[in-house]
Amino acid sequence: METKPSTNFVDKLVCPGDVVLDLSTMTNQTIKLGGGLRQDCDTISVTKAGRLRFSKPNKYWVESSQKRYVPHAEDSVIGIVVDQRSDNFLVDIKGPTLAFLPVLAFEGGTRRNIPKFEVGTSIYVRVVTANPEMNPELSCTDASGKAAEFGALKEGYMFECSTGLSRMLLSSPTCPVLEALGKKLSFEIAVGLNGRVWVNSASPSTTIIVANAIMNSEALSGVQQKIMADKLLQKIQ
Amino acid sequence: MEYQRLQQLTKTTINNNNFIQTALLSDLRIDGRRPLDYRKLTIKFGRDDGSSEVKLGDTYVISFVTAQLLQPYKDRPNEGSLSVFTEFSPMADPSFEPGRASESAVELGRIVDRGLRESRAIDTESLCVVSGKLVWAIRIDIHVIDNGGNLVDAANVAALAALLTFRRPECSLTGEDGQQVVVHPPEERDPLPLIIHHLPIAVTFGFFSNENLVVIDPTYHEESVMTGRMTATLNANGDVCSIQKAGGEGVSQRVIMNCLKLAHVKAGDITAKIRDTVEIHNTERALRKIKRHSSSVAVDVCGTTARLGGKQNQSVGDNDVNHLDQLKLKDEVNDMECETMSSGQLQSSKSDGVSKNFIGGPSSWDPYSECVDSDSLKASLASRGIAVKQSGLSTPHSKQNDSRSEIKREEQAEEIKTNSPNVGQSNEGKTLKDAVKPKRKRKKRASTNARN
Repeated sequence: METKPSTNFVDKLVCPGDVVLDLSTMTNQTIKLGGGLRQDCDTISVTKAGRLRFSKPNKYWVESSQKRYVPHAEDSVIGIVVDQRSDNFLVDIKGPTLAFLPVLAFEGGTRRNIPKFEVGTSIYVRVVTANPEMNPELSCTDASGKAAEFGALKEGYMFECSTGLSRMLLSSPTCPVLEALGKKLSFEIAVGLNGRVWVNSASPSTTIIVANAIMNSEALSGVQQKIMADKLLQKIQ
Repeated sequence: MEYQRLQQLTKTTINNNNFIQTALLSDLRIDGRRPLDYRKLTIKFGRDDGSSEVKLGDTYVISFVTAQLLQPYKDRPNEGSLSVFTEFSPMADPSFEPGRASESAVELGRIVDRGLRESRAIDTESLCVVSGKLVWAIRIDIHVIDNGGNLVDAANVAALAALLTFRRPECSLTGEDGQQVVVHPPEERDPLPLIIHHLPIAVTFGFFSNENLVVIDPTYHEESVMTGRMTATLNANGDVCSIQKAGGEGVSQRVIMNCLKLAHVKAGDITAKIRDTVEIHNTERALRKIKRHSSSVAVDVCGTTARLGGKQNQSVGDNDVNHLDQLKLKDEVNDMECETMSSGQLQSSKSDGVSKNFIGGPSSWDPYSECVDSDSLKASLASRGIAVKQSGLSTPHSKQNDSRSEIKREEQAEEIKTNSPNVGQSNEGKTLKDAVKPKRKRKKRASTNARN
């Protein structure tokens, strides 16, 4: 199996309509397509603007930054509880529809001990199923049934950003802005792929600094982020 | 459908509510401001007259002003009308529904409308063309593009900025009976600005359940947490034009007086900001005009007089060069600081009689030099207030200066003293009283006119 991308569009900006792959020249391999790509006979064309990504051995997708979230299975997201029904919590995850969180989808969840969530609680959850034309289903456990940090987020401050920024915050190696801030300040952070970030720390001022630093790093490169964070830290000391 | 309704309800979370309030207790706001700091205000203008874009933090509002000739209301036969329309796009905030005007949209329109109307900021009588038959109806359209909180203040500034740059076409009465109205296209006669006595600035305060917490210019998040809101509309002199108190939270008298004091300071700042940007815009506009009308194409008017003169030297004929040189000399003599030679100044020196045909193009530049009709006379009188008596003495040129480049007035006043002694009163010196006074005088005038 070939591990090199068969196109030179990888990591370049692509626009809807661009033809990025020609299948007739790559007859003996299988490729997997992600979001933003579609097959037209023998060609693969782009359906949304963004950067074409490739992952070894054969996955292609288009990555873009947007304000709205399209749910995907196995994404960790931050949701807001909107309502409680007999067997589901209704959770807003910035998607086109509200998501369902079954009341039993907690570690050791039984009919007896249903957790109580007030309307307006923010929770860190995992998307289990996301099919078009169906409300996405969430879970507060990881795949093996453990709580694994999922659940209600207590106190702290949650702000919204673009999906691109939240993806950048989750990328490895650690995003420069978080790295720089983390050296001087102690804070807790939860990043949802749906463009919500929750920050908590001992004092409100730290939380505000971290939140604003993250929001400002939306359009900055790695080096710029580091400079910005360092300047900020110098100012407050 | 029901889910959508639920989705709109989730404006903020419990965490954020608590956090915003606890942070405020230690004088911190989530965007790093202190409780009594205003966000950054940016004002831009569109290419057409009477359009403005205002950004206040994340809030983005655009406004357009248009005018139409209509029959006046029966009870006010010689007053033009002013109306405010709002449009809240669902793109600005998911809770805005398309089509139907929401409660907040109506409230916003009313606050802007009341601030302008009750304080008589706009001289509506100067908008009269034929008493009882035709008046200019001014329409302000406010579109909210992005809701980052405090729409009222942003919309108010947008409306004011658009009004300040708006130009209505000039019209005159002709025909045998003097009842035929001719609206002159802008190419023929320069459109006229509105007469605006003062700028009523809206400043919004947010109150929280803890009585001691007051914030100015609340953001989107703070708006969902705060329990009370007060919008005070003041002008730069501190005259209160209107107050709107919304939300259930009771506010003590002491707090309100404090807020008004703060609002006075902010209103001064914002007024200065608006005036500055409008002046810059007017300069650019006038420069554009010179470009458009000038017969020689290659004139690139930008920057200082010296450069302007130099460039014209290369491209324009001898005639113009002479005038320009004269102009330049004159300026140097006058010792005017002309880092950026505004065309307002150009105009002023023109009216000094230095160079009448400075612009090479058609003479549509100066509408007054050809004829002065009674309406424009009335209009310019209205702006003058006390100086009504002297108006007979002043030449049409100085009048144009008076209404066009308001900010420059004081400087110009000294120069054109020979023409008209009392024209140069500044706008800042005016109060609400002044706005009301000329009305009485004008009524008298109107009645004498009618007798004539």
